[in-house]
Amino acid sequence: MQGGSSGIGYGLKYQARCISDVKADTDHTSFITGTLSLREENEVHLLRLSSGGTELICEGLFSHPNEIWDLSSCPFDQRIFSTVFSTGESFGAAVWQIPELYGQLNSPQLERIASLDGHAGKVNCILWWPSGRNDKLISIDEENLFLWSLDCSRKAAQVQSKESAGMLHYLSGGAWDPHDVNAVAATCESSVQFWDLRTMKKTSSIECGHVRNVDYDTRKMHILVTAEDESGIHVWDLRMPKVPINELRGHSHWTWAVTCNPEYDGLILSGGTDSTVNLWFASTTSDELTSGSVVASPSQKLDPLLFSFNDYEDSVYGLAWSSREPWIFASLSYDGRVVVESVKPYLPRK
Amino acid sequence: MGEDDMPMDDKAKRMRDLLSSFYSPDPSVTNTNNPFKFASLDVINTTSFDADQYMNLLVQRSNLEGLLQKHVEMAAEIKNLDTDLQMLVYENYNKFISATDTIKRMKTNIVGMEANMEQLLDKACAKFLIFIMTVQSRSDGVNTSLFEKREHIEKLHRTRNLLRKVQNLLILHNESICSWQYVSHMNFFLSGIEQFIYDLPARLGKCIKSEAYADAVRFYIGAMPIFKAYGDSSFQDCKRASEEAMDTIIKNLQGKLFSDSESIQARAEAAVLLKQLDFPVDSLKAKLFEKLEQSLDGLQLTHEEIANVTAESSNLSEQGNNTESIPGSAHGALVSEFAEAVRAYQVIFPDSEKQLIKLSQDLITKHFEITSDYIKKWIPIANFLGVLRIIWKDVLLIDKVLHEALLPDYSSKASRIAVRQYIKSTFSHLLHDISDALTNVHIKPKEEVDEHPLVVFLEAGKSSVLQGSMNVLLDFRQLLKENLGGLQLSDLIVDWVQEGFQDFFRALHDQFHLLSGKNKSAVQDENSTKGMQVEKVVPGLVLVLAQLSIFIEQTAISRITEARSHSTVEIAAYFSGGGGGAHENGPAFVPGEICRTFHSAGEILLQHYINMRTQKITVLLRKRFTAPNWVKHKEPREVHMFVDLFLQELEAVGTEAKQILPHGVLRKHRRSESNGSSASSRSNSLRDDKMSRSNTHRARSQLLEKHLAKLFKQKVEIFTKTEYTRESVVTTVVKLCLKSFQEFVRLQTFNRSGFQQIQLDVQFLRASLKEIMKLLLTFCLMSWQKRRNRLQFLHNQRKVKLVKLLRHPPAYCGGKMI
Repeated sequence: MQGGSSGIGYGLKYQARCISDVKADTDHTSFITGTLSLREENEVHLLRLSSGGTELICEGLFSHPNEIWDLSSCPFDQRIFSTVFSTGESFGAAVWQIPELYGQLNSPQLERIASLDGHAGKVNCILWWPSGRNDKLISIDEENLFLWSLDCSRKAAQVQSKESAGMLHYLSGGAWDPHDVNAVAATCESSVQFWDLRTMKKTSSIECGHVRNVDYDTRKMHILVTAEDESGIHVWDLRMPKVPINELRGHSHWTWAVTCNPEYDGLILSGGTDSTVNLWFASTTSDELTSGSVVASPSQKLDPLLFSFNDYEDSVYGLAWSSREPWIFASLSYDGRVVVESVKPYLPRK
Repeated sequence: MGEDDMPMDDKAKRMRDLLSSFYSPDPSVTNTNNPFKFASLDVINTTSFDADQYMNLLVQRSNLEGLLQKHVEMAAEIKNLDTDLQMLVYENYNKFISATDTIKRMKTNIVGMEANMEQLLDKACAKFLIFIMTVQSRSDGVNTSLFEKREHIEKLHRTRNLLRKVQNLLILHNESICSWQYVSHMNFFLSGIEQFIYDLPARLGKCIKSEAYADAVRFYIGAMPIFKAYGDSSFQDCKRASEEAMDTIIKNLQGKLFSDSESIQARAEAAVLLKQLDFPVDSLKAKLFEKLEQSLDGLQLTHEEIANVTAESSNLSEQGNNTESIPGSAHGALVSEFAEAVRAYQVIFPDSEKQLIKLSQDLITKHFEITSDYIKKWIPIANFLGVLRIIWKDVLLIDKVLHEALLPDYSSKASRIAVRQYIKSTFSHLLHDISDALTNVHIKPKEEVDEHPLVVFLEAGKSSVLQGSMNVLLDFRQLLKENLGGLQLSDLIVDWVQEGFQDFFRALHDQFHLLSGKNKSAVQDENSTKGMQVEKVVPGLVLVLAQLSIFIEQTAISRITEARSHSTVEIAAYFSGGGGGAHENGPAFVPGEICRTFHSAGEILLQHYINMRTQKITVLLRKRFTAPNWVKHKEPREVHMFVDLFLQELEAVGTEAKQILPHGVLRKHRRSESNGSSASSRSNSLRDDKMSRSNTHRARSQLLEKHLAKLFKQKVEIFTKTEYTRESVVTTVVKLCLKSFQEFVRLQTFNRSGFQQIQLDVQFLRASLKEIMKLLLTFCLMSWQKRRNRLQFLHNQRKVKLVKLLRHPPAYCGGKMI
């Protein structure tokens, strides 16, 4: 279960937290990542996996004014991405566009399409609708949920609606349901809240504490995976919000990031502060779970942990599956090291 | 007939002799001695009298005078004889007339009867029967049995034919001189019948007095037809009187039937008699059956009785093997009584078998139901066996009486179930005891300032597991030895016990998980009910459970297996054979599997304990780091409170661990071991790492770059496998907490003052934890130094790219080598 260094590495100059798959790039397997450095000039790296899959090539390197706490690529335009950044004292969020002719310029500057101002506290994340073209953006700060309407051509973003999470609810992140353009899950201290964007109202919630990360299963409706500080990973069926349908033990320290494979059912990747990335295979069908929970024979209960990649020096905060080659994922540890791995050798034989 | 007691003169005597000679067909009897006495002249009085011979003799012997005198005498005698004869005839005629009258009277009746010949015959027969019976009862004075009665009936039949002949004779041949004798007989019969009927009430009364009910009933039944025929007329009073008498008899008989003091035969007879009297026996039967059922209630095993059984069996064990005394209790008596009653009932009502079978089966079922109730309450094995013995005894008793009920089969099935239930309940009680030992102890000694409460729990738990299962084994051995009425249970028991152990350990495993609060809802319930206390105590309990699991894995199972195999050879054979039917019934006891289960359980529980402990500290840290605005932090004045709390928690972990967990080997050794097989390559390289360090010191000039590369390629394995040693547990907790600390710090941005505050806290912490966590603290410290501290900025994270390393070599190496 211990992984050697089979992956392809790439070092960033500074510490980094976030990496994102460039989904709109259908020709190459590319990722975008940004550094987290308070003093130095931060960089955004556009990485591309070489055609042989043996090397990570830096396709572009752009300077970014502040340390980047969150970064996500636009699912329909490969040149557009969003960041959440911090100056140290305050947070900001913006949508950026990579300049067209960056290869020819010496020090290409990122073009700020829109800055998503209006946040008061700490901004947590910006969400794009993962399933296709949508002119809406969601940004979540500690207290509020913003719905933006983005006009790329006019380079403007406007707050379409805004709703407070309510007193005593500090939001920490969220995910946009790929199956329903109007449903968003937002995590707060003690629960995961579900919002309907049309009414900007909470529809339901799951009681679940200290969720670090949340991800919808892109293959199956109603399936949500959460990563929690202490209690590992839970798989939920939103139709049965009381009890998780599956439970994975997570990491020896906090489970920080979790993401579902875009193609393979039940294949879940998690990154933790114990400097490992775990590959899980967890059944996401509830009927199998019921039989699994009454487990009698040990043969039936397979270890859901397929593999543990532990060739990291520091906590792994960033994880991204490639949507083009879904057996490939990129991971980013805090020391600024990007590792791209293939999970092909570890997949269960079907 | 012979009224010959009166004194008579010679003459009259002679007359009588003559008459008797007339009557008797064989006169030789009367005159046997005469021929010698009256050889000459007295021959005249004999039947062999010859007139000519007599005359010749007389003429030869007497003179004329004598002859004349003789003539006169003879003439007088003849005259006398004539008158006597006349009188006799007259008398007889008189009798005959009266007989004729009687016959006439009879005839008038008979004439009425003749219309219905059957009736007539019946009556005649009845009358004759009564006559015969009377004669019989008088002459014999002995109780008449059915057999005798049959003889009577045969006699009756013969006599009836005779009577018919007599009647025919009478009717057809009234004038026949000979028939007067029969008429007189008849007359006598009839008067006898009358006499009998008139006497009947008195006789019945006598019978009641002497309790000869059988006779009374016989009389009454005999008289019945007559009463039917003439009850309304001639014998009205008699009938009423005897009916009254019979009512008392019936009453008495009923009383007798229901009285328990009477012997069964008596009661059975009473029932038979009542049946003969056409009394509604079915209702009696129902009543009696009800009574039987009621007596069942008295037979139920009560708590006291079971207690008695305990006392008795304990006495038994003290006094030695006196098995006979066991069922000598009141219960045994009751049951035998019941058996008797059942037998009686069966005798009395032979068609009642089904009911009785059902009844006795009910009894046994109830016995077993009660037993199962007691089993639920849990009784010691001796009690259980005692109860089983009692039941078995009962079964045998009843079986003797009521063989068709197949009670032994039935009860052996039931007792099998009971034994199984008992085994199950024993195990569940054992489980309960263990969890009690764990929970009770952990709630109670809050006030008592016990230095090592956890040790107490652990010991309690250990002993209850081990002792409990040993006791259970002993009990079951006893159960095996007990041969319950030849029930072939031993195979089954062995299987059940194995199964029981398997289930028991499985349940214990679940129970541990439940107690440890792995189940979230359970924890919440507990918290809501017991409040803060539980929250405080639970981690310790979890640690105890973890240790207990290990104890079970390493010691208890093997001890139990050993104990099992030390039992009798036979049993051992069974156990080692795994029991033939084990696989059909369920999983047999597999020590290996249980060991594995508990091994993993121990790991999980230990992990859980660590998690619980770190969770608390994490909460502490989260509050510490999310609450203040670090960017606007003021100058540090003192070490923050959270450090104290943090240390307090750690101390708690330390004390708990110290109480229960054994000392580990020295930390460094353990570290390299703990990496174990899972990361052998890494631990090797760690050693290389150390070596390389010393090498760098010794030969700095050589291969500096290579060593550096090696050094920084390595990472410190922070999260190693936790072991069951206090150091391991404590360090794991500390590691996890410091890691959390680090993560929290990373999420914040500090101003100078804030950073200084954290530095201060860490320095303090570091001093306290120096010996434990030097390495990791260094690690942490470095990561804090990035924030807001522009002066002291150190690029403290190791990089893959050597170029980068070389860009800041002094800082990096310095950081690393602290």
